[in-house]
Amino acid sequence: MADLTVELFGKTLKNPVMNASGTMGYGVEMEPLWDIKNMGAYVTKGLSLKPHHGNPPPRIWEERHGMINSIGLHNIGIDAFFNNFMPFFEKKELPVIINFFGFSEEEYIECARQIKPHRLIVCLEANLSCPNIKAGGISFGKEPENVYRLVKKIKSVTEIPVIAKLTPEVKNISDIAMAAYDAGADGLTLINTIPGIYVDIDNKNIPIKGGLSGPFLKPIALKAIKECSERVPIPIIGVGGIMDWKDAVAFFMAGARAVQVGTATFVDPFTIPKIIENIGEFINSKGYSSIKDIIGVVNT
Amino acid sequence: MRDFEGEVIKNEHITKDFFIIEFRLQKPIYAIEPGQFVMVKIPDERVFLRRPFSIYDCNKNSLSIMYRIKGEGTHYLSKTPKGIKTQILGPLGKGFNINFEDHLKPVIIAGGIGIAGVHLLIKKIKKTPDIFYGCSDEKEVKLIEDLKAKHVYIATMDGSFGFKGDVISLFERHLKHYQSSICIYACGPEAMFKSLKEKIKPEIKCEVLLEERMACGMGLCFGCVKKTLDEKEPYKRVCKEGPVFDIWQISL
Ligand SMILES: Cc1cc2nc3c(=O)[nH]c(=O)nc-3n(C[C@H](O)[C@H](O)[C@H](O)COP(=O)(O)OP(=O)(O)OC[C@H]3O[C@@H](n4cnc5c(N)ncnc54)[C@H](O)[C@@H]3O)c2cc1C
Ligand SMILES: Cc1cc2nc3c(=O)[nH]c(=O)nc-3n(C[C@H](O)[C@H](O)[C@H](O)COP(=O)(O)O)c2cc1C
Ligand code: FES
Repeated sequence: MADLTVELFGKTLKNPVMNASGTMGYGVEMEPLWDIKNMGAYVTKGLSLKPHHGNPPPRIWEERHGMINSIGLHNIGIDAFFNNFMPFFEKKELPVIINFFGFSEEEYIECARQIKPHRLIVCLEANLSCPNIKAGGISFGKEPENVYRLVKKIKSVTEIPVIAKLTPEVKNISDIAMAAYDAGADGLTLINTIPGIYVDIDNKNIPIKGGLSGPFLKPIALKAIKECSERVPIPIIGVGGIMDWKDAVAFFMAGARAVQVGTATFVDPFTIPKIIENIGEFINSKGYSSIKDIIGVVNT
Repeated sequence: MRDFEGEVIKNEHITKDFFIIEFRLQKPIYAIEPGQFVMVKIPDERVFLRRPFSIYDCNKNSLSIMYRIKGEGTHYLSKTPKGIKTQILGPLGKGFNINFEDHLKPVIIAGGIGIAGVHLLIKKIKKTPDIFYGCSDEKEVKLIEDLKAKHVYIATMDGSFGFKGDVISLFERHLKHYQSSICIYACGPEAMFKSLKEKIKPEIKCEVLLEERMACGMGLCFGCVKKTLDEKEPYKRVCKEGPVFDIWQISL
């Protein structure tokens, strides 16, 4: 049996595959199909200090090789999450990554402060693509100085490891990664969706502005992972366009310690368990003993 | 809920751009509530997400869908020959509540392809319902051919069959005879629900089947919401809390 375990911030995950934030509801929705305990960790939907209603419909639009979403960070808030859903993960003994955001620096910081350490919480994943309302809606993750300041403040209010989830819509993503690292980030998640719009040629309008996800993100995510892993010595979680185990293996080889799968789950809800099974077979068939043997091995 | 492998055993053109496709399921499907739906993987590389369709009819080992060609997905679906296998996720969502009080008469209202969403309900409901069906013309009356034995009031927009006008206007003519002793089940365009809501008294029980764009169909993405009158949590997932909603709880 291939060893799929990976270490993340002092915790051992049984495998390096998880869902991407916002693509597996509150976790309980998958129950009828397969046991999410089989994943390395569950990543929460983006949570905030207070509940958010999110955007009015339409919230999703299909594109040829992916989709655009504008969910608007709809969530029940951290308190309701811990009260209503944490017992579910406790029962499963499933490690959890808390994805969170704020519409101001203060909201991020207060949110991080209120999340108490818990034996199952692996880390906080700060979604830095969120628009900063005070700065005219520009996302926090766009400028190295802003990332540095925000990550530093988040780190100062929590003992839980913090990873920065970055948007690829920047001049140079490894500069942003460097800023997060300098501010004390314990890891990085690469990448978030890329902003895009849909043009409806019949109605001559733009029915949706939102984030693109799905297969067309893969090369962009791989480039970001490769570049950042060369400059920044902290674990990287890779995400963006993974549709099957081959895509996942490419992410490990490019330098990802773990991977997250989002949109692919909508197309085939069994994508994650299939990837877990198949990377195990790949490791065995190539004569490796552990997933660690393929992380970052790609030649440049 | 399960992700079934289904083999196309029939894909029949009915009229205009309407079809019925039937799948043989590799494993048996149980406990379907009328109004529930499935997410079908369109067997064509060019279509990315699955498509939601109401369960039109169902036996233990087969399931059928009535669909109208709308865009690319349904176009390719209509070209799918017998023998092709694809994935069908379901049954999904919350169906119609058919445990209504004894003294109520069920009334089913469908507009156009909306008949697909209430067909199984008509088949399964214990008490004989009055059915109101509205469509654009005589040709679309073919969609309810198998319901001939039942009592169906028909409206066509062009007047080529039955009442001339929309189905809610036809229903309105009968409304006074019913007083409040009915419960209504409706499926069709949102404009139809809107006009229905204006015509009936708030004490009348009325459930409607809503549609919204979907990615996962099972509550994972929060992409398919509709606004309800619940102030604490206004946006509800059509795929999970719906697709059937109480007309008095949604904002139309
Ligand atoms: C719960 C539910 C039950 C449905 N039952 C039926 C049925 O029994 N028969 C039937 O013909 N149609 C039904 N529909 C509508 C059907 O899903 C759409 O017509 C279909 O998805 C259109 O796909 P397309 O690729 O042909 O169209 P396109 O317009 O090319 O599709 C583009 C995207 O928009 C989505 N979309 C477009 N129109 C709708 C719509 N009205 N509802 C949801 N998503 C839409 C598609 O899924 C796709 O992701 C139902 C929808 C829902 C939500
Ligand atoms: C419907 C949807 C909701 C998402 N919600 C969040 C979120 O709340 N927080 C976040 O950091 N990323 C969110 N994302 C981004 C994903 O976590 C992921 O970074 C992105 O979709 C790329 O991966 P994929 O191509 O595998 O989907 C969301 C993506 C989708 C499609
Ligand atoms: S379609 Fe994903 S939550 Fe409803």
